[in-house]
Amino acid sequence: MTADSGVDRSALIAARQGLVPVKRNGRFDGFENILRKELGDWFGTRRWIVQTILWLVIINGLMAFILFAVPSIDPSEQVSAEENLAIALDLYFNFAILFGSIGMIILTQDEIIQEKQSGTAAWLLSKPVSRSAFILAKLLSGLVGGLVFIAGLTAAAAYVETYLVSHQTVQLSSYLMGTGVVLLALVFYLTMVIMLGAIFEQRGALLGIAVGVLLGGLIASQFTPLVSYFLPVNMADIALAVVQKQPLPLAAVSQLVATGVWSLLFTSVALWVFGREEF
Amino acid sequence: MDGSNGAVIHSRGLSKVYKGVTALEGLNLQVPPNSIFGFLGPNGAGKSTTIKLLLGLIRPSAGTASVFGQDIQRSSLEIRKRVGYLAQDPRYYEHMTARQTLRYTARFFYQGPGDLIEARVEEMLELVGLENKADRQIKGFSGGERQRLGIAQAQVNYPDLIILDEPAASLDPMGRHDVLAVMERLRKYTTIFYSTHILDDVQRVSDRVAILNHGQLVAEAPIQELLAGNGSAVMYQVAIKGETWQAQKLLESQPWVQQVLSSEGDGCTSLQVSVSDEEAAEEHLLRLILEDRGLMVKRFGRKTYNLEEVFMNIIDGRNGNDS
Repeated sequence: MTADSGVDRSALIAARQGLVPVKRNGRFDGFENILRKELGDWFGTRRWIVQTILWLVIINGLMAFILFAVPSIDPSEQVSAEENLAIALDLYFNFAILFGSIGMIILTQDEIIQEKQSGTAAWLLSKPVSRSAFILAKLLSGLVGGLVFIAGLTAAAAYVETYLVSHQTVQLSSYLMGTGVVLLALVFYLTMVIMLGAIFEQRGALLGIAVGVLLGGLIASQFTPLVSYFLPVNMADIALAVVQKQPLPLAAVSQLVATGVWSLLFTSVALWVFGREEF
Repeated sequence: MDGSNGAVIHSRGLSKVYKGVTALEGLNLQVPPNSIFGFLGPNGAGKSTTIKLLLGLIRPSAGTASVFGQDIQRSSLEIRKRVGYLAQDPRYYEHMTARQTLRYTARFFYQGPGDLIEARVEEMLELVGLENKADRQIKGFSGGERQRLGIAQAQVNYPDLIILDEPAASLDPMGRHDVLAVMERLRKYTTIFYSTHILDDVQRVSDRVAILNHGQLVAEAPIQELLAGNGSAVMYQVAIKGETWQAQKLLESQPWVQQVLSSEGDGCTSLQVSVSDEEAAEEHLLRLILEDRGLMVKRFGRKTYNLEEVFMNIIDGRNGNDS
């Protein structure tokens, strides 16, 4: 054989055409392109309108109903401005974390499984795309989606609602920190779902485990306070304490650290499992 | 030295076992540059498994392989940078259009400039005749259109190697014709390694063929060698008018004649003469027949095989041996 198969002729032809090759990043090859496409799916289609309406209705709509409609129906529910402020914040953080976590599980359940089942993951991985880049792009796009639609927009709307109901403003920096706690809870469920998507082939197992951890953790924490040391079961209380500058609940620091550690662990497992997956 | 000896694809003892079931066993393969290499075999023979191994989609259980002299496990990303791949059942994001899919594919290889990427996308759309459907969502595409899109996305990066898994399986005759024409056109730029069970196509365009059965390589040769009956006895076919029994007896008495089979049809007797000495046959066979002045030879020539016969002989022979 005379031809040299080692010569990268494809690169030479592309260079002659003026095309600039993508810089290779090893473990991150393809990350930017996948992330751009995933973010395009969130923001470049009608999905962003649907998500915006959905979360504003679920979280802020329900909040508005309780804050504005109930007192007008039942005048005995009229309370002071300070109480209104506390109720509004309590409602927001509880709704954002409970509904947001469920929403995050539902929204991201297909991110990996659907791609494995449909064959698009195999197609992408036949291109110069690293498996780590695939998982990390899914995580980051999910995080941005969660940050914007579930945490960001609803937090902004809730801030306005809180003011309208109490005519008092919350300090913005502490409010943002409270929103950060919401985001941490969402990250916990996002990374868990991505990991479960990498492990399982069917949605049933994924949903069962993720929802089981969410609801099971909440129920278990009522009977065993120990659970709150290592699962994000009191994140709403923590966020509320942060915003209102009150003492943090028992096990708050442990819970926050554990949530972060779990998220890193889930991400690592997802990378490891997906790295060994066969298509 | 990687031992590939300049081959684009080189494998040594490549094997894959899925949960105790052997899908591929000890594959030794050499695909020369700029060849159109047909990879044949019945369903479940291990063709797709081989392709997935080469692309790093699955890991080998044993053996090694290299593409462009680079190890398929250690340098998979580098290899995929220079490869175009069309899957057997190509799947894309259904909500994306053909243009978006090609742009997305191109962006894995090129960061810009945007206008040149768009030009390349347009070129690919024209190549496969999808320019009129470029901005339709893929979910409305027929099987043939998906296949065309698959061929386009496999070429967007000017690949040094195109791997096609059953590229014409879901196409109508016109579509098949187009695919083969594209393959022939690309021959001077690239190496094409493709699996198929459509033997007519292989015979038309391939330079070299490998046949896989039950995960094992059972034949590998240049197509002309296979069609000439590689490994089989040399056979001549003679169509004769007249009483042939004397000529038949005469032929059977020759030491270089192994077997003479006769059949009747179209007012002629057809003799199939297997010989052990090709030179002796070329020199004497026709003369011996014509010694009988009452015979008229209507046709004479060496029997050539079509790929289907070769394929069936090899596969049936192997399956017969297995049972």
